[in-house]
Amino acid sequence: MERGCLTLVRPLPKQSPPLLTRGRREVEMSPSEPPDDRRATNDRPMVAQTIVFSEVDVVREGRSALEAVSLTLAEHRIGIVGLNGSGKSTLLKAIVGLVRPTGGRITVDGRDAIAEARAVRATTGFLFQDPDNQIVFPIVAEDLAFGLKNHGFDRRETAARVAAALDRLGIGGFAKRRIHELSGGEKQLVALAGVLALGPKTVLFDEPTSQLDLRNRNRLEDVLRVMPEQAIVVAHDLELLADFDRVIVMEAGRVVADDRPARALAVYRERAA
Amino acid sequence: MTTRDIGLVALFAAVIVALGTVPALPLAFGVPITLQSLGVMLAGLILGAKRGALAPIVVIVLVGIGLPVLAGGRGGLPVYAGPTAGFLFGWVPSAFVAGWIAERFDRPENTAAVRFVGLVAAAVLGVVVVLYACGIGWLALVTGIGFSKAFFGSLAFVPGDVAKAVIAAIVTRKVGDAWALRR
Amino acid sequence: MIDGIGETGTTLLHRLPAGGKLAGLAIVATLLFFVSNPALLAAALPFGAAAMLATGRPPAVLLHQIAVPAITIALVGLADLLLVDAETALVVVLRLAALLAFAVAVTLTTTSAELADTFERALAPFDRAGLVDAPRAALTLTLAIRFVPLVGQEIAAIREAQAVRGLAANPVALAVPLIVRILVRAERVAEAIDARGFPPPRPDRSRSPTSPMGGAPSPSQMPGDLHDHP
Repeated sequence: MERGCLTLVRPLPKQSPPLLTRGRREVEMSPSEPPDDRRATNDRPMVAQTIVFSEVDVVREGRSALEAVSLTLAEHRIGIVGLNGSGKSTLLKAIVGLVRPTGGRITVDGRDAIAEARAVRATTGFLFQDPDNQIVFPIVAEDLAFGLKNHGFDRRETAARVAAALDRLGIGGFAKRRIHELSGGEKQLVALAGVLALGPKTVLFDEPTSQLDLRNRNRLEDVLRVMPEQAIVVAHDLELLADFDRVIVMEAGRVVADDRPARALAVYRERAA
Repeated sequence: MTTRDIGLVALFAAVIVALGTVPALPLAFGVPITLQSLGVMLAGLILGAKRGALAPIVVIVLVGIGLPVLAGGRGGLPVYAGPTAGFLFGWVPSAFVAGWIAERFDRPENTAAVRFVGLVAAAVLGVVVVLYACGIGWLALVTGIGFSKAFFGSLAFVPGDVAKAVIAAIVTRKVGDAWALRR
Repeated sequence: MIDGIGETGTTLLHRLPAGGKLAGLAIVATLLFFVSNPALLAAALPFGAAAMLATGRPPAVLLHQIAVPAITIALVGLADLLLVDAETALVVVLRLAALLAFAVAVTLTTTSAELADTFERALAPFDRAGLVDAPRAALTLTLAIRFVPLVGQEIAAIREAQAVRGLAANPVALAVPLIVRILVRAERVAEAIDARGFPPPRPDRSRSPTSPMGGAPSPSQMPGDLHDHP
């Protein structure tokens, strides 16, 4: 571990206002207050990591996907919006080292997203858009155990965590179900349970509601509202982000707005028009 | 093996299995073809020799585990000892040979004709020649019906398999146009 | 399609270790292969049937399991009858039928995770010798099992779409979109597997004192642990 070599200052969690480097218009913003007591949190302490992008560039297949992005993400609920190809998924994937920056660096609670990817992934879960790509084992409980095994949990701890994660999402009865017999929404919940079972501090969501019907979408919204883990959500579903602490608007690989949801979403609507 | 290779091998194994459940397609000249061996050819042509051979190995292990993964829902260890097991185990060298030849001919610097003919040759040599050698040899040994009977009994399937080789070559070229194949 | 895969249960067969069951099956298969006395082979059938009933599954499920393979066995018998002689046909049919019964009994009482675990353990010596990467091999196997129904759904969806365009029986129109989807999916799946922390740390190989053994999560052993793992 190379925590000591970090030169980046770790900003104070939650108190620091969102940094805005490339924004051209929305420089003024209200400081985001920690909304601690607003939510019920399943009696778990609220947790969050500080994710720092410093001058991050990503060039993929000759095209610039991120350009000199600098951000400090420490709030509890952060939304990321933008048109297709604006770089929002790239931003999310770069946090856990799935995308390698061509310039700059990313740290998660001081750990480098590339050099210490394993450590970062142990505390940072990722929910992909299509749960079918994320679920590895044919039976629900087996799939949840996969991630735990990868992170070195023993058998007993694994069984306990699998049961707890399923119960937490209200799908305790699913343990022995076959994945291919579940609906899309149920698969999404199973994939989320697989992420939560690891006990992450942060969960990254890549368009989590795009394949869900209204009932499952609302169910996911409820989960998001009460989960004590930090959530960073890329979404086209703007309503989902309405009560978030902070919303970032991406365009052509850059951050063009970074603000409270109402104002950021207004900017996004205006630019998308 | 990168994680991506694992995904590719597993998915192509799944393709080979899933194509076995597609009902036989009647071809223009009346020979019905099943698509399972098309899956094996495509694994070799698209993935190249090494990963292409791994996909049918995965299918063979699945057969051994007892999953009904072969065309017609066959599966289980009995298949290993069955009279047609040579046509199953033969998938591995045939996908390897097909992939090996494809790697050498289907290159951007070659003309379209060379690439296409190379792919057809790869599929024919791999799947028709190598596979039939394995399959017929085994059939003759296990059933005791003798080489010549086994050979002539299998000839009926050759036209269908040559047709599949051409189809596999067309598919590989079309996929290659849409997606840079890294074999 | 792949409903033959086992479920968890409480019967004696379920509780036996998967490795033992597979080894037993291999021994039975070998013995049956060397027996060519029809009376002896016929005597094995009731044992096979008993093993199938011991899975605790209803007879309807059992019949469903053996229906299709039974047809294949009948066809093989028919071929032997025509090409060789009646006794060979009888021996082959009895042998394959007995094997089928035992194989079904094992697969119905063993889950895919147990099988993958057993597979991984069986590969462990080769893994230590550096010949095979056991966790990767086991994952490939599980993924394939997982993806069979999914690929089946994709094939059905493509065929439907092509039928609308009048291309129902065109194998090129089926295979091209299928393979492109597969290639795209492989990328996504690899990403997701990496994000879930694969491969697990291997304390046995890296003998450095920092490699933790056992229970606690050991997040930081593999720096730079990204896509391109050899």
